[in-house]
Amino acid sequence: MKNILITDPTLRDGSHAVGHQISAAQIAAYCKAADAAGIPIVEVGHGNGMGASSLQVGLSLLEDGEMLKIARENLTTSKLEIFVLPGFATINKDLKPALEAGVDAVRVAAHCTEADITERHISFVREKGKLAYGCLMMTHMVSKETLLEEARKMESYGAQGVILMDSAGAYLPQDVKEKVGILAEHLNVPVGFHAHNNLSMAVANSVAAVEAGASILDGTAKGFGAGAGNTPIEILVAVLEKMGYSTGIDLYKVLDASDVAEKELMKVLPSIKPISVISGLAGVFAGFSKHVERVATEYKLDPRDIFFELGKRKVVAGQEDLIVEVAIQLSQKRKTQ
Amino acid sequence: MDSKKLKVAILGSGFIGTDLLIKILRSKYLDCTLFVGRNLQSSGMSKAVSLGVAVSDRSIEAIAENPKNFELVFDATSAHFHQIHAPILKKLGIIAIDMTPAQVGGMCIPAVNLKECLDKDNVNMVTCGGQASTPIAYAIGQVHKDVDYIEVISTIASRSAGPATRANMDEYIETTEKAVKVFSGAKKTKAVLVLNPAQPCINMQTTVFAKISKPDMVAINIAVDDIVKKMQKYVPGYSLVISPTYENNRVITMVRVQGAGDYLPSYAGNLDIINCAAIATAEEYAKRKYGIQEY
Amino acid sequence: MTNPMTHVLLKDCIEAIGNSPERFNALKNETVFISGGTGFVGTWIAEMLAYLNDHYAFNTKMILLSEHAFSFSSKAPHLATRKDVAIVEKDVRNLIELPREVTYIIHAAANPDNRQHSSDPLKVMDVISRGTGAVLNAASRLPNIKNILNISSGLIYGPQPQDMECIPETAHGGPDCDSILSIYSEAKRYAETLCTAYRNQFKLPIVTVRPFAFIGPYQLLDKPWAINNFIRDSLLGGPIRILGDENTVRSYMYASDMAVWLLTILINGKPGQSYNVGSPNGISLKQLAECIASHFPATPEIVHVPVNKAALKSRFVPDVALAQKSLALTITVNINEAIKRTMMWHKDRGI
Repeated sequence: MKNILITDPTLRDGSHAVGHQISAAQIAAYCKAADAAGIPIVEVGHGNGMGASSLQVGLSLLEDGEMLKIARENLTTSKLEIFVLPGFATINKDLKPALEAGVDAVRVAAHCTEADITERHISFVREKGKLAYGCLMMTHMVSKETLLEEARKMESYGAQGVILMDSAGAYLPQDVKEKVGILAEHLNVPVGFHAHNNLSMAVANSVAAVEAGASILDGTAKGFGAGAGNTPIEILVAVLEKMGYSTGIDLYKVLDASDVAEKELMKVLPSIKPISVISGLAGVFAGFSKHVERVATEYKLDPRDIFFELGKRKVVAGQEDLIVEVAIQLSQKRKTQ
Repeated sequence: MDSKKLKVAILGSGFIGTDLLIKILRSKYLDCTLFVGRNLQSSGMSKAVSLGVAVSDRSIEAIAENPKNFELVFDATSAHFHQIHAPILKKLGIIAIDMTPAQVGGMCIPAVNLKECLDKDNVNMVTCGGQASTPIAYAIGQVHKDVDYIEVISTIASRSAGPATRANMDEYIETTEKAVKVFSGAKKTKAVLVLNPAQPCINMQTTVFAKISKPDMVAINIAVDDIVKKMQKYVPGYSLVISPTYENNRVITMVRVQGAGDYLPSYAGNLDIINCAAIATAEEYAKRKYGIQEY
Repeated sequence: MTNPMTHVLLKDCIEAIGNSPERFNALKNETVFISGGTGFVGTWIAEMLAYLNDHYAFNTKMILLSEHAFSFSSKAPHLATRKDVAIVEKDVRNLIELPREVTYIIHAAANPDNRQHSSDPLKVMDVISRGTGAVLNAASRLPNIKNILNISSGLIYGPQPQDMECIPETAHGGPDCDSILSIYSEAKRYAETLCTAYRNQFKLPIVTVRPFAFIGPYQLLDKPWAINNFIRDSLLGGPIRILGDENTVRSYMYASDMAVWLLTILINGKPGQSYNVGSPNGISLKQLAECIASHFPATPEIVHVPVNKAALKSRFVPDVALAQKSLALTITVNINEAIKRTMMWHKDRGI
């Protein structure tokens, strides 16, 4: 029976859903529940990772170090993982203290064409004897050949796995099959897939990824995550079990954990709102959605127009400042019409 | 040779060095007496030869052998080599403009602290994002002495970021944060760098966010307009995309830098602005030395 | 184009472009830079683009870089004098900068004449390696580059295994480093890897094509390849001399098909992808000689100089399914028609 490694970024991707306002009590409660369910890896932090708390992408309620401390105290068997995006996070300011705080695994991410900015961060994690994964973001934007080339760079830097992120929720199962498939065929390290649910494809895409050779999958409690959310971990575990894969996760307890999350973390359950569909079609980073909603209200614009304009400009994660620029431009255009 | 021109050399025949050369050839105040690298066959060297500029492949030795020929040297090699070059240039009495992240000398942002830099024999040009964002942060800091926080985000075209830029993103962030803090007086600063691979290549864009308890938007706008005009004197492609705007409890200002397209393509505003700043600094040394008054 | 020398070419262009010039719309108002611009490939691309400009108002500008620009006015006077064609005489290795308006590049500078590969090997390797570097380095500073077509060679695969019908893009192997016959192929292989480096380091869009064998106007009959020699022998009254094993298999693509394929790959080829370009229809030297002979009322004699070494028998035929399937490219001129048109052109031109 093939084993699938499940990573749970509820406390990282879910941070986008609440404007990065996750509290100490919430972290403690969910970490306890996830740990009890036997989820192998729990990812914690600001939605854009360590060192990302900013006006650009949103300020965190808690400092990075505080979040890690609480998570560490409440995880006994699950590994504690963080997400770092070079350009936001630096080795000295962010990575070093995080490893000192007891982090076990690090995902070093880059936009899907920029893998070479991860070299130093991945090397640093490896030198410290911790688990290092490479993440390629917004992977719907480029061809499978380009993804293979970039993934190979990460592998050469020492990544112990490469995860393709469908950061905009734009994939269909056929895309997953092609892109995950080519990596699984050619890489010497495990391949992972991180889904978003904008087009209601998160579970289907995760299944397609496993069938194409992925052995790492991401899921969050009830799909708690940016935009329309991620793959619901409790459903993912059930589906994988039905398909005959083992995850090492206790199904009853992961169902319980997702109830804990719903009660403790979520004001509203993740759902596919009309603008999430548009965001997925436009291929815009899911983390933009809260900002777009706010700016659209402020400038009295249709958020859908903003999404399509952002899609046209091929914005990448970290370019949230362009939302305001696009809004100002659209409202000026409206005035002149 | 015009005796009123400052004799300068360029160390480093890469993209930055070659673009500097083309800018110097246009300058009324600078005369490039030697273009120095390590490989006579590099495209930068070939370009220099085609422009009739004297070249050498003997690096710092070429300068040390004939120090009388040089009053100022632009060092566009690397931080590692500038550490070696800096004491040699100092001993020879040659002013160094450091284009690398070595930070041997003081930070120089011409629109902000040009006059005080002229007393130093080694100045550092900070970073591309620092050259674009610091003037805005400084202008805001002049209006409000108690700025809580300033954050600067620069997005550059992926193609304009070479292997050195990519390997040194951490140093970029640290240096830029330091410059913004020193010149704005903000209590806390943060810098972010984003690479965007979109085709056609995007121009460099920099956003400055400021947290100020009671921002005087009229005064901030006047100060920012002033500094932008000052910037445009030495960086023609520098423009304001969003004037200081109060939005979501923060002041947001956005600038764009389009390059002159000398040796580098125009989208590489990030490389252009740091070179423009270096030229402006060298020209100021020249004007002071020869007592030239601008009119 | 009433000149007898160009009427074959005009007919070729009309047929090749057919009723669908819109396939090439991406090149409208663009500037195409071609290194090796006055060679066989460059001239044909220019011919095709000139046709699109004249008949469909494409307004495409061409810049042809050549070491032998002086001979272009006698080779193709109707192209050399055009306003939309600029000819730059320069050794590709000394290229430093490209005009900023260049949006498409075809890097075709290299001499495929295998006699020179053995007699001037260092220059051959230098032109390919440093020439490719110079073009890509200059391209990396272009503000609006849209695609770069690197013309490599089918020879980079090394010898085609006897049991392999057609050689696909995924074949590995490569030339024998110890052989003087590997000069050109190994340099071309290096150039392909150099493209990979530039594609990664400068995010340049670069597509590679691996051409096999071609026949058609502008290909000089003194080139040391079987088909050219057979045609020359026949035009001079025969006999056709077959050297080596007569069962050796080659395939030939007609020049106008080549031009259409290259332009299509320039526009729609996926950066990072390599495409074989040539005919998938193999033909033995014996069949080829007979085919050429059949075009003459007084059939020239075919003389075979037999060699007893089985090792001399070889096969060189591409698998072109990738280009055919992903870019809807086809072979429109068969070998018989290709030979007929080629001979007509040489006759008109006066051999």
